[in-house]
Amino acid sequence: MAHDQSSTHSETRRQLQMARSMCWHCQSEMSGEYFCERCVKVQPVSKDTDYFTCLGFPRRLTLDPKKLEAKFYELSRAFHPDFYQTKSPTEQTISLGNAAVLNTAYRTLRDPIQRAEYLLALEAGSVKDIRTSPPADLFEEILELQDTLDQYRASDHDSDEGHRLRAMLQGEQQTLERRREEMESQLQQLFTDWDELQDRGEATSQARAERDRILKHMRDLLSNRTYVNNIVNDLAATIA
Amino acid sequence: MAYSDKVVDHFNNPRNMGSFKKDEEGVGTGMVGAPECGDVMKLQIKVQNDTIVDAKFKTFGCGSAIASSSLATEWLKGKTIEEAQKIKNTDIVQELNLPPVKIHCSVLAEDAIKAALTDYQKKTDAQSTDTK
Repeated sequence: MAHDQSSTHSETRRQLQMARSMCWHCQSEMSGEYFCERCVKVQPVSKDTDYFTCLGFPRRLTLDPKKLEAKFYELSRAFHPDFYQTKSPTEQTISLGNAAVLNTAYRTLRDPIQRAEYLLALEAGSVKDIRTSPPADLFEEILELQDTLDQYRASDHDSDEGHRLRAMLQGEQQTLERRREEMESQLQQLFTDWDELQDRGEATSQARAERDRILKHMRDLLSNRTYVNNIVNDLAATIA
Repeated sequence: MAYSDKVVDHFNNPRNMGSFKKDEEGVGTGMVGAPECGDVMKLQIKVQNDTIVDAKFKTFGCGSAIASSSLATEWLKGKTIEEAQKIKNTDIVQELNLPPVKIHCSVLAEDAIKAALTDYQKKTDAQSTDTK
């Protein structure tokens, strides 16, 4: 089943690439780059091109930020409106559109968390499709902390009670920050697992099971990290 | 973007904030979260003779999430289990005048109601099999 889905998926992608494989200006065949080889006109980035493809990177989670930045600058220059002032209105519109897509693509892929969220959306559909049961223990903890935070907010910060609550919240903050770090290093490991799996390029049922395991675990970690992150920010803001 | 008066009112004077003991008789607990924004919602109902006699909530999230769950507890009180099943997120959206970007808060509240009802049902089913 999963296999069928992925093969239709790549087929649609191929069709999309075919659709934009012709230069809008001279109708000559395109090899997928941003400029026609024959008439040198700028070509629009298709709305269906994913951000990885847009920046010329494979769908991997470990990216060299320097290389990503270099590619972004290179393409930013290529689409810069200044270079299109004397060009036709069509070319101006295309370059402007491309620059906008490029900016979003770069902002998304530059941040490891956003990059992973984006990859998940590409690979596993919307978040809800692999929504897992909520982590009840973590939720209880967060809501209890909320109560303590409210008590602290209502307390006289210079009183003994205020000091006691503050010390308690500081301890909690440190514990949660450590937990967030642990989650992030687990995510890092999953990034490596994902990339290795992609590099092997196997189509066995084992590989598919591994793919699902990685995506599901990644979804869990990313969600839990968001919950922890929110409460940490709230803690930091309140006791700062 | 400004919050509607009703949202502000629920946010400033949340109704039924707090919690029941989970293992208390007739209590159903719904615990849901929105991984997209990190909001966490706990909604509890207390049921006697198929009617919700009390409801409480605790929410960690934005004003709209707090208002949605506060309103949900108000609506739940006095309703039968069957009536409670019918509460829809769109009712909450309408009552609170939620803008499109905050609709997910009402979805979260509906999910929390459903989860609390399911939990209650599960508990009562388990009890009736115990006594059989």
